[in-house]
Amino acid sequence: MTMTQRAVTVLLEDRLITFNRAVGLIRRRNLPVRSIAVGPTVTPGVSRLTIMIHSDEATADRAVQHLQKVVGVREAAAFPARDGVTRELALVKVRAAGDRYGELLDVVQLYHASVVDDNPDATIVELTGSEAFVLSCIRALERFEILEVARSGAVALEAGSEAGARVPANI
Amino acid sequence: MGELLTGSQILCRALLEEGVDLLWGYPGGAIMPFYHALPDYPGLRHVLVRHEQAAAHAADGYARASGRPGVCVATSGPGATNLVTGIATAHMDSTPLVAITGQVPRAMIGRDAFQETDIIGITQPITKHSRLVEDVEELAEAVREVFAVAQEGRPGPVLLDVPKDVQNAKAAWDDGRSDRAPADRAPAIGRPAGASHGPDLPFSNAMALVEAARLIARAERPLIMAGHGIILSDAYAELRELAERTGTPVITTLLGISAFPESHPLHLGMPGMHGEVHVNRAIQQADLIIGIGLRFDDRVTGNLAAFARGAKVIHIELDASEIGKNVPVAVGLVGDARALLRALLDGVEPRHCNGWRAEIESFVRPRFESFKGGLSPDGILGSLEECTAGRCTIVSDVGQHQMWVAKLFRYQRPNTHITSGGLGTMGFAVPAAMGVALARPGEPVWAISGDGGFQMNMQEIATMVQERIPVKMAIFNNGYLGMVRQWQQFFHGRRYSATPIWSPDYVALAQAYGIPGYRVERAEQVDGVVRAALAHDGPALVEFLIEQEANVFPMIPPGASLSEPIESETVAV
Repeated sequence: MTMTQRAVTVLLEDRLITFNRAVGLIRRRNLPVRSIAVGPTVTPGVSRLTIMIHSDEATADRAVQHLQKVVGVREAAAFPARDGVTRELALVKVRAAGDRYGELLDVVQLYHASVVDDNPDATIVELTGSEAFVLSCIRALERFEILEVARSGAVALEAGSEAGARVPANI
Repeated sequence: MGELLTGSQILCRALLEEGVDLLWGYPGGAIMPFYHALPDYPGLRHVLVRHEQAAAHAADGYARASGRPGVCVATSGPGATNLVTGIATAHMDSTPLVAITGQVPRAMIGRDAFQETDIIGITQPITKHSRLVEDVEELAEAVREVFAVAQEGRPGPVLLDVPKDVQNAKAAWDDGRSDRAPADRAPAIGRPAGASHGPDLPFSNAMALVEAARLIARAERPLIMAGHGIILSDAYAELRELAERTGTPVITTLLGISAFPESHPLHLGMPGMHGEVHVNRAIQQADLIIGIGLRFDDRVTGNLAAFARGAKVIHIELDASEIGKNVPVAVGLVGDARALLRALLDGVEPRHCNGWRAEIESFVRPRFESFKGGLSPDGILGSLEECTAGRCTIVSDVGQHQMWVAKLFRYQRPNTHITSGGLGTMGFAVPAAMGVALARPGEPVWAISGDGGFQMNMQEIATMVQERIPVKMAIFNNGYLGMVRQWQQFFHGRRYSATPIWSPDYVALAQAYGIPGYRVERAEQVDGVVRAALAHDGPALVEFLIEQEANVFPMIPPGASLSEPIESETVAV
């Protein structure tokens, strides 16, 4: 019954209706969701959905079993976040007054982040890392004026060769 | 290149290909092309209902009684939304129901067109699968897919939404496609691993079977709890074999009633909220529970934390996500109940449980009924049993009478008790019984309702008359929404808020529909009226005026444990 951060990963047809079914199920079963991310895979027509939840193992396993029943879902798996790599991306739009621009660049460098767009009145900083890292970096940027933040939600892979939601060879 | 057909014609042919010969439906704008094609396919009998909800319940009843998918048809918008309660009912009770809805033309979708509604979105949580057909070329395949999904694994409802212009569009129909086995569909989509309905067992079950047999051999106080899964997988003989070989008493859940003959010495009765005291007490004292094809619903377990605390649980269930959902299990076996029971029987040695059975026998209390003489549910159901020699199917509605029907008739033959268990849908009995009657011609089918539930779908008498569907309707009329009134009496200080309910003159109502109607007020009238209703070739209606404030006992208060039953009025008040 250990409550911890877990990743539920799902490979599913890349159709809105299938995504809708999978996410609807998560809502209906009242899962403690922290983030949801979806994107394409190397297999055409198949998307990968990553749902981060804070739960015990039984809850995550049951979510997987329910997801496996959804028509259009190819594979579903769950693992504790500590057993793999979890990353999210954030874009932070910051305004730093002219005399503090150098200070902003120092923070960016300290966090191994990068400036991806630079306008006289606003700078967009890109960060990638664990949820804790991203939050810590955003906090560091709060000393400037944050105009907008866009976070991707986490994606995750289990460590080692035991793949969880892997595209089967036949599709 | 096959014959060029319209989408509507393809739909009819694809339905015939699936073995469908009966549709329950109601026409309207967006489904008119389908109804235009329908008369050309006399193999598809269409029953015009009086409300789409009844079409869904009737198709559900047909599916439950026949084991084949039931099909209902409605137009877009209100036609489709009227199906929703019926679809949800089928979803909760794992019935293979196929709902076909018309949709506004593709170009109008998303524009709030007249009678447009997102029925796919609305029904998503209550269907196993649903599909909007966006191209006539995929229509035949879509029909095959939804029928396959409805039936495979744990059955459930599916919905096919067909835009009007897709019904009118033309595509080639190739009979050859019908040779294609369902296995040729996309690989294993939506099919849980190990949930095949055949005899092949997933490897992981092998060790579990050994462990289950070991637990059964060692148990001193074992119980079998049999649910709907026995009926769905036709595992009656295997269940009986397991019970008899091990001397294990059998409890049948509400949807498991008639999975095991009730005259059998090993049959205990129904568990849970209105289960008999000795049944619930046996659960609380058991050291092993073999749960087969049930989901340990809250009405069965009462307070989960206090449920069968001394028992290890072997859970045999087709749907892997049910195992461990409510009750922790020692052994989970995923698969078809019949196949798994057969495999389990290979490793189970004969034994008896005579000591344990004697102990349970000592728990039996004389049944306390609150009937103050006169016309009692006990007497009515006893008469039904006697007058039909037990050869009838009973479809019940929801409420007090549902519990009486579950407990006071001795079901001997498989699948002869049909009710809305999971959703508890009032208004289910009358339309569902129409489906049961067409699935079982020549067998008396009784729809038993309360005066509340009957009035929810009594318009279907017209359907029975027009289509000659010989349902015998019984109304247990106590002038109240009885179960709610009972809760008000026990838990709301007798404040009978909105539960007194007026009824029309049912005998006159029957007369208006041109069918025989009877009112029974005294016990000695029951047999004669039941026999007269049975003898009539066609639908008939019988109203039983029962005691107004009779209660269903025993009762486990909601949230309480199975060890805390209310057994009589004196305790209740």
